[in-house]
Parts: sequence; structure tokens; C-alpha cells
Amino acid sequence: MQFKVGDLAEILDGEILRTTDNNSVLVKIEGKQHTLRLLKSGTNEFEFLLDNTFHHARILHLGTAEVKIMIDGQPLVVKKHSKMTEVLEKTSAMGGAGGGDRNLTSQIPGRVVNIAAKSGTAVKKGDIIVVLESMKMQVAVKAHKDGNLKEIKVKQGASVARNDVLAVIE
Amino acid sequence: MHEEKIKRLASMKKSAESGGGQERIEAQHSKGKLTARERIALLLDEGSFVELDKYVTHRSDDPTLPKFYGDGAVTGFGTINGRQVFLFSFDFTVLGGSLGEMTSKKISKAMDHAMKVGCPIIGIIDSGGARIQEGVMSLDGYGEIFFHNTMASGVIPQITASIGPCAGGAVYSPAMTDFVVMVENVGQMFVTGPEVVKEVLSQEVSFEELGGARAHATKSGVAHFIASNEYDCFDKIKKLLSFIPHNNAEEPTIIDTNDDPNRIDPKLINILPENPYQQYDIKEIIKSIVDNGDFLEVHELFAENIIVGFARMDGRSVGIIANQPMYLAGALDINSSNKAARFIRFCDSFNIPIVTLVDTPGYLPGTDQEHNGIIRHGSKLLFAYCEATVPKVTCIIGKAYGGAYIAMGSKNLRADINYAWPNAEIAVLGPEAAITIIHRRELKNAPNAAETKKKLAKEYRDKFANPYIAAEKGIIDVVIDPMETRPMIIQALNALANKKESRPWKKHGNINL
Amino acid sequence: MAMSKKITCILIANRGEIALRVIRACRDLGIKSIAIYSDEDVRAVHVKRADEAYHIGPATPSQSYLNMNKIVETAKTAGADAIHPGYGFLSENENFSEMCEKNGIIFIGPTSKAMELTGDKMKCKAVMKKAKVPTVPGSDGIVEDVEEAADIAGEAGYPVLLKSAFGGGGRGIRLALDEKQLKQEFEMASAESRAAFGKAALFVEKYLERIRHIEFQLIRDSHGNSRHLFERECSIQRRHQKLIEMSPSPVVDQKTRERIGEIAVRAVDAVDYLNAGTAEFLRDPQGNFYFIEINSRLQVEHPVTELVTGLDLVKLQIGVAQGEEIPFKQQDLKMNGCAIECRINAEDPFYEFAPSTGIVPNCNIPYGPGIRVDTYLYPGCNVSGYYDSLVAKLLAWGRDFNEARIRMKNALNEFVIEGINTTIPLYKTIMEDQNFINGELSTDYLERFKLLDKMNKNAKESAKKSAMAAVAAVLLQSEFVRRAETIQQRSGTKSNWKMMRP
Repeated sequence: MQFKVGDLAEILDGEILRTTDNNSVLVKIEGKQHTLRLLKSGTNEFEFLLDNTFHHARILHLGTAEVKIMIDGQPLVVKKHSKMTEVLEKTSAMGGAGGGDRNLTSQIPGRVVNIAAKSGTAVKKGDIIVVLESMKMQVAVKAHKDGNLKEIKVKQGASVARNDVLAVIE
Repeated sequence: MHEEKIKRLASMKKSAESGGGQERIEAQHSKGKLTARERIALLLDEGSFVELDKYVTHRSDDPTLPKFYGDGAVTGFGTINGRQVFLFSFDFTVLGGSLGEMTSKKISKAMDHAMKVGCPIIGIIDSGGARIQEGVMSLDGYGEIFFHNTMASGVIPQITASIGPCAGGAVYSPAMTDFVVMVENVGQMFVTGPEVVKEVLSQEVSFEELGGARAHATKSGVAHFIASNEYDCFDKIKKLLSFIPHNNAEEPTIIDTNDDPNRIDPKLINILPENPYQQYDIKEIIKSIVDNGDFLEVHELFAENIIVGFARMDGRSVGIIANQPMYLAGALDINSSNKAARFIRFCDSFNIPIVTLVDTPGYLPGTDQEHNGIIRHGSKLLFAYCEATVPKVTCIIGKAYGGAYIAMGSKNLRADINYAWPNAEIAVLGPEAAITIIHRRELKNAPNAAETKKKLAKEYRDKFANPYIAAEKGIIDVVIDPMETRPMIIQALNALANKKESRPWKKHGNINL
Repeated sequence: MAMSKKITCILIANRGEIALRVIRACRDLGIKSIAIYSDEDVRAVHVKRADEAYHIGPATPSQSYLNMNKIVETAKTAGADAIHPGYGFLSENENFSEMCEKNGIIFIGPTSKAMELTGDKMKCKAVMKKAKVPTVPGSDGIVEDVEEAADIAGEAGYPVLLKSAFGGGGRGIRLALDEKQLKQEFEMASAESRAAFGKAALFVEKYLERIRHIEFQLIRDSHGNSRHLFERECSIQRRHQKLIEMSPSPVVDQKTRERIGEIAVRAVDAVDYLNAGTAEFLRDPQGNFYFIEINSRLQVEHPVTELVTGLDLVKLQIGVAQGEEIPFKQQDLKMNGCAIECRINAEDPFYEFAPSTGIVPNCNIPYGPGIRVDTYLYPGCNVSGYYDSLVAKLLAWGRDFNEARIRMKNALNEFVIEGINTTIPLYKTIMEDQNFINGELSTDYLERFKLLDKMNKNAKESAKKSAMAAVAAVLLQSEFVRRAETIQQRSGTKSNWKMMRP
């Protein structure tokens, strides 16, 4: 399998060679063999020795293309299948006004305290569409492109989570 | 000597796995689409895929039709997060993924296996349609698949991933499966394509507009989920599978979700605005009562006036149905009746308990609804609730007027436990409408009609707008404190866990279609 | 008029780590502690630790922690003879202080009169000018409307700061680089100020560049005794919110300490202050100090002073509230060693400091020689979006700056908070930054020395180190999944499917 860790450019090649007794697994990463000794395993949590160094891993989110893990207290995103990602990225480029581009999403979790624009009007990139409040901070969510504000998907007082769609601009 | 045979196997394998050839694979990639095998690698657990019928080729004697190993589909079995599944993935690089006699045989075989073993069958559609050169045998092939879909329906879960074209009669197979996930800008389904539409009706419409993911997710309801890309598609399928059992004899797995089943939420009642006619988002209530706010909404963009989807409560998978006051004030209509009825029947087929949250003012009026058959479609919802024998827990959290009150999992539809919040209003009609009928004479003779109307409406509301009248009659089992909604529903579900209920023997009912 | 009343029961009108801090001081003194909590804080640690806890209202601050009537009513029901307001919320609300006075409850803080004066930045500035305390150029009064603001700003010269005339703590402060921005920010600054303190009135102040923020901790009793408890340098800020504070300041020598300390004492004397407070100054690169404001409350960063003086400020506050005299002379105080505090906020420094809320399933709180952590975190606690983002204060003390810095660096590495994003990675980078080590601080420190870029680079480095382990973990996960199903199948549990009717 091919892995891309965090923002690192290089792709790491890794596979399991075989499992042995007493919870040991032999893995090959970037051409070198390493012994993985599983100390403790639970739902989405592992403690193991990788070549005698202790590590603690917690799987935060398991997706088809990426795994979000907390390794030794540090959150990291490990992307799998990088070659396939290259292929798929062509659709986003080719699709033009695909779903991803129309949606204005929230960068923070919070509450809608003000709807600053009217749906059905033209907006420019940078115009304030919605104002969110969280942890006593007010954050203005601005239009990510020029276009027609087709729909505002949230109402005053609504709670939003990070990456929720706030509005659609076409 | 044996070495040669081993070498031959290796080269056969390589040849088969290259589908229609390197050139065609690159063409597929240049369109931003993955190959059939790549998709299977993404969907299934690493190393778990066993391919069947790898070397099957077509039996047509048409000399112009080249033979390819696999005949346009990759079929077999593997595991998804450890669960056994069978699947078939159309191979667009082979003859455009078209379906021939043998392709259909492969797919039917995979479906047969799934039926024997009792595990889900997943189909990845990326196909040009019937293979013209094979003539009636390709139509025969589709017919065979349709029969299998029908036999499997309600026995094993069937999921379709639409990651490419699917046209003509071929679309009926996905239509009969339980859930369809379409990838935006890639998946397409229509019975008659844009060219024919233009020719016959002089209507200009693009592929995407006519039968793309968004069209089917918002307008026709054919698609249950839109995925933004192929990764997202498989993520959604995996998530969906986690809520449903392997087959109709099993119950979904109970998972340890670490969310206290006794968690009370004092904020719940505050989500409802003071004015009962004001809008609010029912999804906030749903997210509060389910485990970890984790709610997988189905048909999110279709018939938005009703919400359906899967969640867990105390680790137990449940199907949630709720009116959405933010759209059409939560009224019921044709599309929402269809959406909810189908969802209920899926849950009932697969032993998933149903939790219903009610806040609806009634049915949407108008000639549009009437002439398009709200009477027929509305009856489906009633039928589905009555027919279902899984545990059914209903909670009225707001208005519940007239026929819509009955349709939303009421006591007489054999819901097991019916809860109501103290502000629930159960009545034949809303106050304003009711008094115009009851007090017609008084209103006619009143000196100040508007004032009297207000007064009478308030009286009506004070007298009838509470759940205690229904509770007195036993139609509501318990009037609950809103903050305890979650623990109360969980306790009901636990009590009903081993529910067994039967219906009169019949070949099948005659639900108004 | 020194009144002497022994306090036996304190209601803490606050939440989070400061509520816990006050509870600890009460414990030390054998005083009964009363906690209040909103719907959102039912499982908060201060509720668990107090002697008694009372529900105060729904999550929204205006209906709970800012609900003066309810709080005073609760204090009376609980039999509290004093209220400690913590910081933020009602701590600088003179109406609340007055309400306490009227209800015979001791308000542990300044008198409502002193608060009214210090709360009104303009009036206060006038008093300071009279007392010969140097101040910053800007508007002489509250600016009612946006046009007036634009005029004054134009005169003073951009860039300018829009500040809320009431309250402090960095809330309601916005920077405007030009008139367009000023107009945009004016509206939002008013709204924020109203939300946090219940009122909005702004004034304009010239934005001095490359300045250091240096404040002096003060305490004054009801007998007229004033003491300064040395300085804290709080220059490292983001959007006018302090991130790191330390004592002593690298640019304050003993002479300067005495000189400015004396000015600070003059400032609190001028407003007839009572109890603990802080005089904030800006210091320009030439070494001039300008008085900004008096924060009439106990501040977030008070532990920094506690570490270098050995004093317990909360206990001192209670003593002063009881009418006692401050038990030491100015010359008794000695600056001992160096203390640094990092404010750990629930924000994602890699994503424009986006707020991060949710359950913290697990956390590892550092400890060891010279380490102090004031926090409300515990495994399974909830970090709420209804309140501010400060989740923990990590402090390190050392015999000198370097020892403190290294201890802080190591403690940051030990500090693990799961489930939310925190600003810990930023502080790790700062502790190793040469400019920080050299004491090259100013309020634009982060941008000036491109700390965010450095932080991102460090993240890449540590990702590299953890990459192998991360890959190993993901491989393990897929293997584990495969094994789990095999075990299940082999365990012999008969499936319903097989036993079903044909």
C-alpha cells in the first residue's frame, strides 16, 4: 500500500509481510523490514513497539482514502491510495461547477448570529454572507467566489459544525 | 514442466486484470474515473478480495465482437471492515462495460452466492448498457438480473454505487436495490438519453441535468446519497453498512458508542420556538438524542419536509423518521409519504427498530397534490407503518393534526410505545381551522370577528392543545419531560428488543402503488 | 472606612479553571465554596469540587453566568456572605458590584465606584493625566457613531485601534488599517462588546508600533495601603488576546521596576482602588511607558506573579475583602526566579485558529519540578462553544529564564489533549524560537518573526518523525480488522441465517 503522511511530499510504501506468534507482525516500510509487537489493542486504539520504540495510536476517523490518527499525542492524516487520488482529482478539475465548488462551507463549529446577504442576489468574492459565533468570537464567513447567491442553507440561531454547507453560490 | 504452467497462470492473470487493455485504462483515468478493480480495492478490506469468473468470455458467434476475459464485469467476494460481502463492478474498459449474456451470468452467480450465504450484495455501475451485438441475449441478461434483484429484495441488503453511465432498461436494477449512491458529475441514470429526448421532443438537456446525481437526489428520489467523489462514495457505503445487518434473519450489530444512555439534555425544549408556527430544525433534536450526534441521513435532498436516516441509540442501530418543520412547515405530501414509506419497509425487512418524531400540521393542500395522487401515495405511509413488525417508538414533539397525526406512527398503526412532550398538540385540526367550523354561527354573528376568532382559538388551544386528553384515552402512553427524550426512547427500545409480532398469512398485501 | 468581617462562605460567579482556582483558595482558608453552573456545565469539574453547587440557568451566558439577579438570589439562598467574580463575565460590571453591596454581600474586588471609573477608559485616562501618569494619544471620549470614529482616526493617523470602552481582556478590540476597514470593524466590535459585557461603546486609540505590553500587578487594601507585585510582560498576543505572559520582563531592570511600579501605585491610588488589579502599560522601543488602563479584576495570568513572589493572590483578595491590612511591606517583596505562562486555547493554529469544541476523551496533564497547570480539563470533559476558548494555563518556573523556558518546552511535549485542537504546537515553536530566547518581544511578535510559518515547518518535521509509526499503525489497523472477523467466525456462534426456516 502507498501512504502519504501529513503534508510530507514523499510517498511511503508499506505492507504486512506476515504475522508471527505472540502478537508480532513483520512489516516492510520503504524496503526495510520492521518488527511490530502489539502490546494492547482496543476499538481503534493500539499500543505497540516498533523496533523497540513504544508508540500509542488512536484511530480518530477511518475513511476509504484517508485515516486520521493520533500518534503519540500528535494528530496526523495518513492518505492511502495516492495514485488513485491523482486520477480522481481530474474530475474536480473537469467537473467545473461541481458540488465542491458551489458550496460555501463553515470553517468553524458555531452558531449563526447574522445572515448578512440575501439569497437570489449577486455576490462578489469576499462579501460577508453569514456571521458565526463560537467561543465568544465572531467570525464572518465570506463568499469564496463571485456569483449568484442561490441559497442560504442556514437560519439565524442554527448550530453548524465544521465543513457544514452554509450557502450555495453559482 | 510445472513451472511453465505456473508461468502461464501468472500471465493469464495479468492479461485478465488489464481489462480492455492499457490504453482503455488510461482513457478511463483521463476522464477522472477509476477502473473496476481499483474501485474494488478501495471498497474492500486490503487483501480480502477473491475474484470469481475472471476468465469468463462471451459466447456470441459474432466475429466483429472481440473476446475479453471477464466480459465487462469484475465479480467476487471480500470483506468490508471485516463483514462478508459479494459484489460486482462493471468494467468500462471492456466493450464499454456493456452487458452481455455471460456478464449477466457472472453477476447473477454473485447474487446467488450472496443469497445462499446471507450477506449484502453491492453493485458498482459504470456501463454503456446492453451489448447490441448480443441482441436479445443481453436483454435476457438484464431480465435475469432484475429477477435476482427482486428475489434478493428484503432478504439481503442490496446497494448500488453509480459511478458512470447507466441507461435504458438497465436502470431498473439499481431502482430495485435498497440504496443508491451516485457520484456527482460521474454517475448518470436515465431511461431515455438526451439525444433521443432532443429528437423526439425537441427538448435540449445535458446528461448531467437529465440524469445526474443531483437531479436524482433532489428531484426524482432515485438516488439516496450524493457522493462528491469516488472515495466519498465508498465511505458512504461503508458507513451505511455499519447500521444494517448482514441479512433479514439477523439484527444489526450493537456497538459500544460510549454515549451515556441516561444522558439528559435540558436544552432540547429550547430548540422549539415559543410560537408553534415558527420554523426550527428537527435535525438538532435528532442529533441530540442519538449516540454522539451521529446521524446518517438518507435522501437528504429529496422531500426535505420529512427526514429519514440511521443512527444508534445506546449502541443499537435505529431508523429515524421525523417531520422537518423547516420545509413546508413539516406537512406531509406525495414525495415525503413515498420517501418515509420505503424507508420504513427497509427497516422492517432488516430488523431495524423505528423511532418517529412528530411535528406536522397536516397534509399539503392543492390540486397539484390531489391530482398527482396524494390519496394513493399518502396511503403508502399508513400501510408501511401498519405492516411493520419491528419495534416502533413514536414521540410527538409538537403539532400532530388530523390524518397526518395518524400517519406518523400513531398508536393504532400498532406503534408500541407512544410518547408526547407536554407542548404536544393532538387534534383533528389546528385551532384556527377548527373554530371556523365548530363556531361558525358564533363567528358569523360576532360584532368583531377577528377578536372573537382570536379568543376562540386561544380557548381551543388551551382546551385541546395538550397531550393529556390523548393520554387519558391511552393513545399516548407517557407524557415525558423533553430533556429525558433520549433515555425514555432507549428504555423503550430495550424493553421491546425481543418483540415478536405476526401478521395474517398472505402471499403479500396490495399496497397502493 | 475599614470594616472587618470574617468571610465564611463564598459564591464563585464564574466557571472553568478560575472557579476551580478560587475553590482551592477557599479550601486553604477553611471557607465554604459555592459553585454555580449552567446547563452546559453540569459535568464541569468546578461543580464537582465545590462544597455546594447550584444550577443557574441555560447555556447562554446572558441567562446564566451574566444573570446578576439570579446569581445574587442564589448567593442569598446558599448563605454566601461574599461573591468572587473571577475574570470576565461580571468581574468588571459595576452594576453587579453595586447589587452585591446593596444586598449585603461582600464583592471580592474593587468598589463599584472605583470600577465605574476604571471601566470608563476615557474618564480613567483623564484621572491619570491629572495624576501625572503618562497615557496614549487617541480619542478623548466615547465615539458614538462610525463617522466620528473615522474623523478621529484620520486625525490621529492610521493604523488605529477600536477599543470597547468597557471591560478588557482583549475583547472588543479591533485593528483598522484604513477607513474602509474601520467602518467594517466598527459594527462587529460593537456587537462583540455587547455580547461579552452587555454594553457597547467604543473609543479610538492610535496604534503604536513595535510596542511591548508590560503590566504591573497591584493590590490595595481598605486602609489605603498599596503594593505593586512587580511586572508581567505579555507582549506575545494574537488579535489583542494574550498568549504568553512572563515575569520578569527581559527589558525591565530593578530601577525601572521600582520607577514604573511607583507610577502604577500612583494610578490605583488616584482612583481609590480596592483589592487586586492590574495597571497595563505599553512600552515603546525607546523605553517610554504609557498607561493604558487598569484592569479591575484578578487576571488570567495572575499565577505568573504568584510563582515569582510566592504569594497567593486569591487568598490576599479574600483577606482584603475582609477588611484586613496587606500583611507585607513593599520592600519585603523580592522577585524570585522567572515564570512563564502559556494560555492553551481550544483553537486550531494550523487552520486560522478556528475554534474547536467537543468532548476531550483523554488528556495527559504535565507535572514535575517547576510545573503548574490551572485547568478544568479531565478525561471525558466537555469543551463548550458557549464560552471562551481557554482550556488550560501551563506555567513553568525556573531559577532563571532559560530554566523556565526549557521546563515549559518539555511540559508542552508532555501535554496531550485529545478530541480538540489546541494551540500547543504554536507554543512549542515559540519556546525554541531564537527571538523569544533573546527577549525580542513586541505585540506583533507572531507576524514579525513569522511564527506561524515556523510552526508549520516544525509540524512537517515531527510528521516525518512520526510517519513510520503512523504507517505502522494504519497497517496494524487493517490487519486487526481482518483478524477480528476471523475470530468471530471461528468462535462458533451460530448465525440466525443458518437456523432460519427454509
